[in-house]
Amino acid sequence: MIKLSGIIKIFNSGRTNEFVAVGGVTLALEANRVTVLKGPSGSGKTTLLSLIGCMARPTSGRITLHNGLLSGKRFSGIGEVAEVEVTSLPERFLTEVRRQTFGFIFQQFNLVKGVTALENVMLPAYPLGEKHDTVRRRALDLLEMFGLKARAAARVEWLSGGEAQRVAIARALMNDPPVIIADEPTAHLDSKLSVDFMEIIAKLKAQGKTTVIASHDPLVCGAAMVDRVIAVRDGRIDGEGP
Amino acid sequence: MIFKWIEKHRSILDFTLSSLLRRKGKNLSLFAVYALVVFMLASAMFLTQAMKREAALVLKDAPEMIVQRLLGGRYDPIPMEYVEKIKSIRGVVSAAPRLWGYYYDPVIGANYTLMVPRSDAPASEKIVIGNGISRTRMIYRDDILSLRGTDGMTRSFTVAGEISPESELVSADLILMAETDFRGLFDFPADRATDIAVSVRNQKELLTIARKVADLLPDTRPILREEMVRTYDSVFDWRGGIMIVLLLMALLAFAIFAWEKASGLSADEKREIGILKAIGWETADVMIVKAYEGLLISFFSFTVGILTAYGHVFFFSAFLFVPAMKGWSVLYPDFRITPFADPYQVAILFCLTVMPYTVATIVPSWRAAIIDPDAVMRS
Amino acid sequence: MILHPAIVALVLVSLLLTMMSLAGAFFGIRIIRRWDLSSGSEEQLVLERQTYLISTILSYVLVFEIGSLFLFIYTADSMHTLFTGAMCAAGTLYVDAYGYPALLLKILNVILAGLWLIFNGVDNRAYDYPLIRKKYAMLLILAPLILAETVVQTLYFTRMNADVITSCCGSLFSLEGGSLPSDIAALPVKAAMAGFFSVLGLTLSSGLVYRFTGRLGWLFSFSGGLFFPVAGAAFIAFISLYFYELPTHRCPFCVLQREYGYIGYPLYAALLVGVICALGVGLLIPFRNISSLAGILPRVQRKLTLGCLLAYLTFAGITVLQMVRTDFILLD
Repeated sequence: MIKLSGIIKIFNSGRTNEFVAVGGVTLALEANRVTVLKGPSGSGKTTLLSLIGCMARPTSGRITLHNGLLSGKRFSGIGEVAEVEVTSLPERFLTEVRRQTFGFIFQQFNLVKGVTALENVMLPAYPLGEKHDTVRRRALDLLEMFGLKARAAARVEWLSGGEAQRVAIARALMNDPPVIIADEPTAHLDSKLSVDFMEIIAKLKAQGKTTVIASHDPLVCGAAMVDRVIAVRDGRIDGEGP
Repeated sequence: MIFKWIEKHRSILDFTLSSLLRRKGKNLSLFAVYALVVFMLASAMFLTQAMKREAALVLKDAPEMIVQRLLGGRYDPIPMEYVEKIKSIRGVVSAAPRLWGYYYDPVIGANYTLMVPRSDAPASEKIVIGNGISRTRMIYRDDILSLRGTDGMTRSFTVAGEISPESELVSADLILMAETDFRGLFDFPADRATDIAVSVRNQKELLTIARKVADLLPDTRPILREEMVRTYDSVFDWRGGIMIVLLLMALLAFAIFAWEKASGLSADEKREIGILKAIGWETADVMIVKAYEGLLISFFSFTVGILTAYGHVFFFSAFLFVPAMKGWSVLYPDFRITPFADPYQVAILFCLTVMPYTVATIVPSWRAAIIDPDAVMRS
Repeated sequence: MILHPAIVALVLVSLLLTMMSLAGAFFGIRIIRRWDLSSGSEEQLVLERQTYLISTILSYVLVFEIGSLFLFIYTADSMHTLFTGAMCAAGTLYVDAYGYPALLLKILNVILAGLWLIFNGVDNRAYDYPLIRKKYAMLLILAPLILAETVVQTLYFTRMNADVITSCCGSLFSLEGGSLPSDIAALPVKAAMAGFFSVLGLTLSSGLVYRFTGRLGWLFSFSGGLFFPVAGAAFIAFISLYFYELPTHRCPFCVLQREYGYIGYPLYAALLVGVICALGVGLLIPFRNISSLAGILPRVQRKLTLGCLLAYLTFAGITVLQMVRTDFILLD
């Protein structure tokens, strides 16, 4: 599981536009569960998400990744450990932890324009130095899993909204991460596609993955497979429950 | 380990190449300017080096030593009797008097070199002229050229022929004439010559023999061919160097341009880097992308710049630069420069172009690479 | 000043190198003072990002220094026609008092830059940057040296005078004369050979011991470092004679020319690689006990050892091959 203790994140510290995005959050997220962070925009849930996903370092507080998540993963330089405190890891190591632990799905999908769907999916694996063919095959398999094999060579600008979303999910799964992080995944999708998305999440949960979603979409918050809904407001936790 | 490194770099290089091609407009303009800078510097260098070689080749046929007479520290015609004296020095194979001088032609404001060749001198009142003169004054075989002598009298000479164009560098302004005509024109004393050309048996003894000549004939000054070569080398190097220093201004502008280009990331580019960071690329990985970008652009610009410069200098005779190199003279020789380029020149050009470019782009590359993935999350 | 294009290029390169290393040192000072890995403050993040910049700068510094070193020698060599008495780089460098110091500084800076990059590479692999302050303190030594190199090199070029008659390598490295080069040249051949091969042997054997057992690290590093000047002296004392096949030609620069197949380049490149690797091993030994480096350091040191051994073997191999191949007999 992922433990956060007393996490504070301040932007532009010391200047006139100083802004406290997260003001003291203590949280423990369990493995193999779907957790939703619910809150209006500006509540700090996106920042919280990026902190959980090791994309940013907190101004103060500690974040620890526990066993279960890390089994089987070996981080060079840290060795095999039961627990990793990520707060004071330099960027190089933080990135490696993130690369192997988290898969991100962004609100805007954030696929690289001008590049094919296949290559977009392959991108996260480039810095790892695996054999090109292996990477390519894995990416194709992922696309096939989402029924996109035929669209592999298409440029992402030509994909429909639903197709792009699935490419984004495939990309997030490229390095087989144990945790999926999604930020407002249904914001640009219609109801049908939103339901499709949550079904994919259910499937991933069945495979043993942990999911953390930030959303204020009732469709997401009220979905059946969601185990825990945490309300976030003004950078703090405001209660739990469906 | 190494294998992983290779695969990683291969993948990133692949991505960089496609990324460059995706932004053709920006990269094409950079490539054009870069290649132009390389072209200018390379042309200057190739021309200089080729001229040096050309001069050396021509000077190869020059006499090993020339003995001049000095009067009051200034040049004076040398007595013919010195020839025998020099011949008597051990190690000297031959010593022959030379007759030559300068003539100023007010019609076109140029200096001609008048010379009496050692063999096959033209007949009396006939001259053989160099291509530069025939072109500029439009005088050809059987035309008449009038020269004014020291006594004020004009003498007419018929052009019997033109000097073959092979050694234009030296002969463009040359006029060959008979000895009697020469002496008459300049009122040159019969017992004097302009200088004496000497050749020796053993090259290594040149310095010794030169010293002996100076000892034997204290009013003379021996000049060695290698000194002349060195002087020409220095002059060409100096001229080439001056051109390069001037081109350094262009280089500075180029460096600033490169910096601007590298810094001016479009919103799209920033977003792309943000996405890469977000999906797990490190700052170091993005810096590798930027480094390869620079490498690819440098490689192509450098190659194209050098190849076009080569063509410019050796196939088009460096028409853009020739005036600065050949001396501000009126008579331009027209000759094909022999192609010459070696790795050393390429290395120098590399230092003058690719290095400054690389240095100018280090900081902008870094600033691009440290883009926060956080920003992507928020967009 | 002789406005040879190569000189313009060399001066430009040196100026850029000075700029880059001073920038690196300047950022380094801030890092030394304000670095605090456990803080999540923005200043710390900025500092961490700057480490990438400095690493990149120093990588380029090394590459350009090496290029500049060889270009410098080549230029000195090709300019020998401008100076009476000079037949190769040896004479050109002797034209004024700054030629040889410039060369020595360049060699020193190449070695130091290489060592810094090794140090930096190791530090970056540990999750808590244990060597960071020492690393940037090293830069405070390297940057002024590069500045010194630029100044000395510029003085060398500006003080050059074509009217000066200089010596050719034949007299510089001849047996008479009281200068250091001739003292080296005058070393008795058998003693020089013995010295050369024994230091080589010591380096190779201690290197193998270190590679497989992790002991004798200090001995290996010291021996490997010593081999650099010993090999240089040996070259002047006897190795050169085998390459030139003349009993009086001992110049270390002529071997870089085309007529000898440019063999000098791989020879000296091998020496440089070897000494950087050997000294790198020694540089890292004091930090063996740092916990975050426990996994990384031995591996890096083993690789460096291997690199050094291969490099020195290459040098020895080329040398011995030449000694065996040639008809020239030095020892009877």
